[in-house]
Amino acid sequence: MTSAITGSTATSMRLPHDRSPGSQILRDLIGVALLAVASLAAGLMINRSSSAPLPVVYQSPEQRFDAELTTLVAAPPFKIAPAPAVGLDQFRSALDGKSTLILDARPSAFFAVGHVPGALNLARDDFARDYRRLGAVMQDAHDKPIIVYCSGGDCHDSRLVANALLTLGFSNVSVFTGGWEAWSAAGLPVSTGSAP
Amino acid sequence: MVGRRPARLHRERTLNSRRDYIVLGVSLAVAAVFIYAGVDKLRDPLQFADSIAAFAILPAILINLLAFGLPPFEIACGLLLLGPRTRRVGALAVAALTIIFFTALASALLRGLTLDCGCFGVGAPSRPRMWFELVVDAALFSAALFVYLRSITRLSESAVSAK
Repeated sequence: MTSAITGSTATSMRLPHDRSPGSQILRDLIGVALLAVASLAAGLMINRSSSAPLPVVYQSPEQRFDAELTTLVAAPPFKIAPAPAVGLDQFRSALDGKSTLILDARPSAFFAVGHVPGALNLARDDFARDYRRLGAVMQDAHDKPIIVYCSGGDCHDSRLVANALLTLGFSNVSVFTGGWEAWSAAGLPVSTGSAP
Repeated sequence: MVGRRPARLHRERTLNSRRDYIVLGVSLAVAAVFIYAGVDKLRDPLQFADSIAAFAILPAILINLLAFGLPPFEIACGLLLLGPRTRRVGALAVAALTIIFFTALASALLRGLTLDCGCFGVGAPSRPRMWFELVVDAALFSAALFVYLRSITRLSESAVSAK
């Protein structure tokens, strides 16, 4: 009886679930696409339940910084002349003079690992909180020279913090563009530990 | 011949068993990498969004959406790799993801950008590290492709033996 079943009849009797590699790959791709959609939904829910949810549309560090400054001042547009730059020799001279306030604009975790001795942490990414924390020190420094540094190289945090201080009315602010990279490469003294 | 298996069939079963252990080992390693990467990104989504923006590829509307969705996707890929029935989809997802990572990193390197990819933890922008992560992506893609192709092959073998 079974010999009566011809090859063509047999091939037309397809199994309910076609297991050819091509169809399996297609099913797998659909699975990946569904996984992506489910992940996005999960990510949105996680963000929504977070204590500091991000907006749906990305804001650059400059845009966030500008928004953050408005908590401190009735903010004018963030368009002022950039702070002047100083080199390593000038920076060391200012440090030796002991009348200059040195500010480290890097995140607190980097500050804790190593910073210029005597520097205070005024992190770009937590500017409002650090500025309030440094309260009295910053008030006293309104007319003093201030130099801000960050990692160096392509880092813009020092420039952003310096310009923010100029916006807030500080009159003598400059940027040590070589930053932590130049300071540590020169083998100069290092302090460690978190900001008080 | 009752009760004795042919030697050829026994050798094939031994070889398949060894390959299955290799697939399992590779899957576990890739799963560990992706679960770690996903959990790490969930810790600081803002930093991760800044890393994505640094590539200067996506418009602002998509950057945070990617920052929201990618960490759970990576964790899910890792978890899928752990299960024998879900491993195939997990491997394909990892392969697709690593192609995207590789393309983005290669593009950034060619454009002369120096950035922190944020792929495996936060760090300072560094071109040597970008090259290293490019190599890691290639290795992960190869591993995922191996797992996926092996799984497809096993599926085909099962279908043939069932007929």
